Amino acid sequence: MGENFKNSLSTRYILNKCAPLIAFFLFIPPFAYAETLNTRFAYVGDIENTAYMGVVQGLDEANHQGEFLGLKYSIDVIPKANTKLDGYLAILVDADQKTLLKIASANPDTPVFNLTSKDDQLRTSCINNLLHTIPSNRMLQDAEKQWQTKTPDSKAKAEAWHPDFVKFAARDLNKRFFKSHKQKMDSNAWAGWAAVKMTSNTVANTKITDSADMLKYLKTELLFDGQKGEDMRIRETGQLSQPLLLIENDKIVAEAPVRGVAKPPTLDSLGILHCKK
Amino acid sequence: MKLLLMPLFLMALLINSAWATPTGRIFVTNEKGNSVSVINGASLEVEATIDIGKRPRGIGLSPDGTELYVAVSDENKIKVVDPESLKIIREFEAGSDPETFAVHPDGNIYISNEDDAKASVFDPKSGAQVAEIRVGLEPEGVAISPDGRRVIVTSESTNMLHVIKVPEHTIENNILVGSRPRAATFTKSGDIAYATAEISGEVVKVDMNAGKIIKKGTTGDSKSKPKDVVLSKDESKIYVAGGRANKVVVMDANSLEIIKKIPVGKRVWGLAISKDGKRVFSTNGVSGTVSVIDTDKNEVIKTIDVGKFPWGIVIND
Repeated sequence: MGENFKNSLSTRYILNKCAPLIAFFLFIPPFAYAETLNTRFAYVGDIENTAYMGVVQGLDEANHQGEFLGLKYSIDVIPKANTKLDGYLAILVDADQKTLLKIASANPDTPVFNLTSKDDQLRTSCINNLLHTIPSNRMLQDAEKQWQTKTPDSKAKAEAWHPDFVKFAARDLNKRFFKSHKQKMDSNAWAGWAAVKMTSNTVANTKITDSADMLKYLKTELLFDGQKGEDMRIRETGQLSQPLLLIENDKIVAEAPVRGVAKPPTLDSLGILHCKK
Repeated sequence: MKLLLMPLFLMALLINSAWATPTGRIFVTNEKGNSVSVINGASLEVEATIDIGKRPRGIGLSPDGTELYVAVSDENKIKVVDPESLKIIREFEAGSDPETFAVHPDGNIYISNEDDAKASVFDPKSGAQVAEIRVGLEPEGVAISPDGRRVIVTSESTNMLHVIKVPEHTIENNILVGSRPRAATFTKSGDIAYATAEISGEVVKVDMNAGKIIKKGTTGDSKSKPKDVVLSKDESKIYVAGGRANKVVVMDANSLEIIKKIPVGKRVWGLAISKDGKRVFSTNGVSGTVSVIDTDKNEVIKTIDVGKFPWGIVIND
């Protein structure tokens, strides 16, 4: 036993000393593909916003998956735009209502993701190619109302995401984000991440590379795992349905739909579901 | 020289395995109890609890059954326990956040390192890392074909089954499945594998030689987030842990149609089947119990209290 212990110690010493060298020889590159499919995103907005960090996080993860499938993704940052942007599978936007509407109408066949505006009118106006990964004000209010039914004195505010969220592998996503960006992942960051991730997952699963086909798929067939425990869909309003978190004093106190209160007890209890006919 | 030594080596192996009488015990990791519950295989009562370290999850046995391996996630270690004396006899560093692993017929351990997007291979005798393979994000389930030629690693956030060739340790195939693939298991021939996808609630049947999904099924209701999967001894059925549906779902291995849903405890994740095929054991995380299922009747015949948040389970039979 004593002899073995000494042996294992010296082995460990050698391993530790030579770790980088050993790692180099042991490392096996991933799957090699003959052809690579390149996909481009455009980001319009402020690169200081955490939404952009979320976009970058989503892009890193998309390229990680792409290594195994022969897919590559890149992003062009366009500080200001309100005209046609050619050659992009999707356009990701952190901007005000006016700019969003301009970009959406200039690029009618391309999915335009709103990453930061919670404005309800952007949803009720049902613009065909405008998709919202950030929850609307109405969704947040519905979540807060559900929680208040249960605990009338609570002043909890609803959010799409929180850096302390651990369930459903949210812990893993929070860890990855912090490691890359040295910042905590917030709701805007999640919205940016989600937009890229749902698009790249669709490319991987369907090989869709045409923006009009992508828009159609996202609006009618998408089931998205946003690391919040439930498959999410895009409603006809363009809004991504999603579970929300209720935050009080920077602590997660509940998840919405709130169990026992939400009617119906599904994601449909949060926000507007349909466009006005 | 090699030819002469080979029969001797095989004989030594045979003698060695003949000497190792299995304890019949069932070992369960308690993720939040920081312990391993030891269940007596005959009485089905907990006979001992081992203090193992912080956040134990994956658990497995050496091919000869003489060593029990436990992945202690928050200590980044695998601890080696003597299944007879229940003493921790060794431990070694197993990369960042070791979670699930499987033991290869050659004795090496294939482990998923969730934080690092890689699978690592360790020789548990020396604790040395033999290889490392880059895989998708949040690698989780690991399954090894009985002939040892293939290893499946599931990556939860990349939605893939990575098929790794052994001994080359290169990726043979990447198979896209539903959201959050969690676990996989092979048939005895190794030609077919079954895998579960948690969020999409799917079970897929994969032709391993073609690297293609040949059948898809679902575990039914929306709460059912499938996790572990085991095959019945005759390979006619699969047992799937139904997560928050609090049921073990029995499915036809051919059609993937649901045969029965067996109510067990809350948040069922881990499954193990006895060598004789007569019992399936499930770990019910939120309830803190293990359910014992009789596979003739497909009914729970006993519920055993274990530690906090039971996770992995293995039978020394």
